[in-house]
Amino acid sequence: MKDNTAQRADDPILQWVTFRLDNETYGINVMQVQEVLRHSEIAPVPGAPSYVLGIINLRGNVVTVIDTRQRFGLVSAPVTDQTRIVIIEADRQVIGILVDSVAEVVYLRQSEIETAPNVGTDESAKFIQGVSNKNDELLILVDLEKMMTEDEWAELQDI
Amino acid sequence: MNNPLPVQHYVPEQTIQSYLDALLQDAAMELALAEQAPQPVAGPEPIAPGPAIAAVPEPVKAQPLIEQPEPVAPAAAATPAWREAPFEALLFDVGGLTLAVPLISLGSIHSLDGPITPLFGQPDWFLGLLPTQAGNLKVLDTARWIMPERYAPELRDTLRFVISVQGHEWGMAVHGVSQSIHLDPAQVKWRSGQGKRPWLAGTVIDQMCALVDVEALAELITAGK
Repeated sequence: MKDNTAQRADDPILQWVTFRLDNETYGINVMQVQEVLRHSEIAPVPGAPSYVLGIINLRGNVVTVIDTRQRFGLVSAPVTDQTRIVIIEADRQVIGILVDSVAEVVYLRQSEIETAPNVGTDESAKFIQGVSNKNDELLILVDLEKMMTEDEWAELQDI
Repeated sequence: MNNPLPVQHYVPEQTIQSYLDALLQDAAMELALAEQAPQPVAGPEPIAPGPAIAAVPEPVKAQPLIEQPEPVAPAAAATPAWREAPFEALLFDVGGLTLAVPLISLGSIHSLDGPITPLFGQPDWFLGLLPTQAGNLKVLDTARWIMPERYAPELRDTLRFVISVQGHEWGMAVHGVSQSIHLDPAQVKWRSGQGKRPWLAGTVIDQMCALVDVEALAELITAGK
């Protein structure tokens, strides 16, 4: 039992909320997810950066929604019944990320996470935190904090 | 799984031929260069100060524009051991082009039954990750890497195997695996230098194929070049 506890301390289990984008599955740390919303009207913000889809009214609070596909370098896709806005907290801000669908919460041991290949020169490659094989598919784990640069996080605050 | 169309469907024969010609031309140029190499390079002849009004200058003969080959690195310095003796090589097909790779440089061959998971923000020659029993293999779009100027996006649809590279987490996506052949070093027209295709060890005239220096290829991939 003692060994078991020690092993757990060395190899903690982390929970990840998974979502789908362009037929791939991505994971974000469950601790950063506040809630998942069905797609609702997103009001565009004139002059906002291209990665900002607009804003939504979340129980009286304005939340900026990010175009995740654009951020990941993927082509845009139409909104469907499965489209969700995942409300997350990153860099001390609450934002929404638009995803094709939200799948489930998976449990991963730290040891099950492999570091991501480091061949990309593209900035977006830097926010792949790691990959993990789960349920016969590869899960791409995203580091939300790195999804935006410091300047971009600051820019978001001003919207 | 659908039967893949022959890749020749996408890459006409003359394209492959022209590519092979280019490879062979590279090797021939380097050979010619190597033959000229021992000649000492004389400095420019001193120009005697002449009268201000010199004789009518001779018309300058138009010299053929020859692309200066890149400096030739000393071949002996990094010659892998497998080049010194007869070796086995595997022939495989990449977009209609036959490539040969020394067996000693290869790991295993994985059939592309499952999908390759692409990762965003990666170079276009990086197809993604292929889960294997040995872990996730990073897959190189070999056709795009080797002949980017002749690459057709349709080639991605007919990839059938991934050949992993010994000692690396990389694998080369290929369209077909052919046979292994026994090669004597004398059968290979070796490249003497790095040139613009450092991964090209030489060309095998008998098989009309390019011999890949997998180690050099892996280094280039790792460096993201």
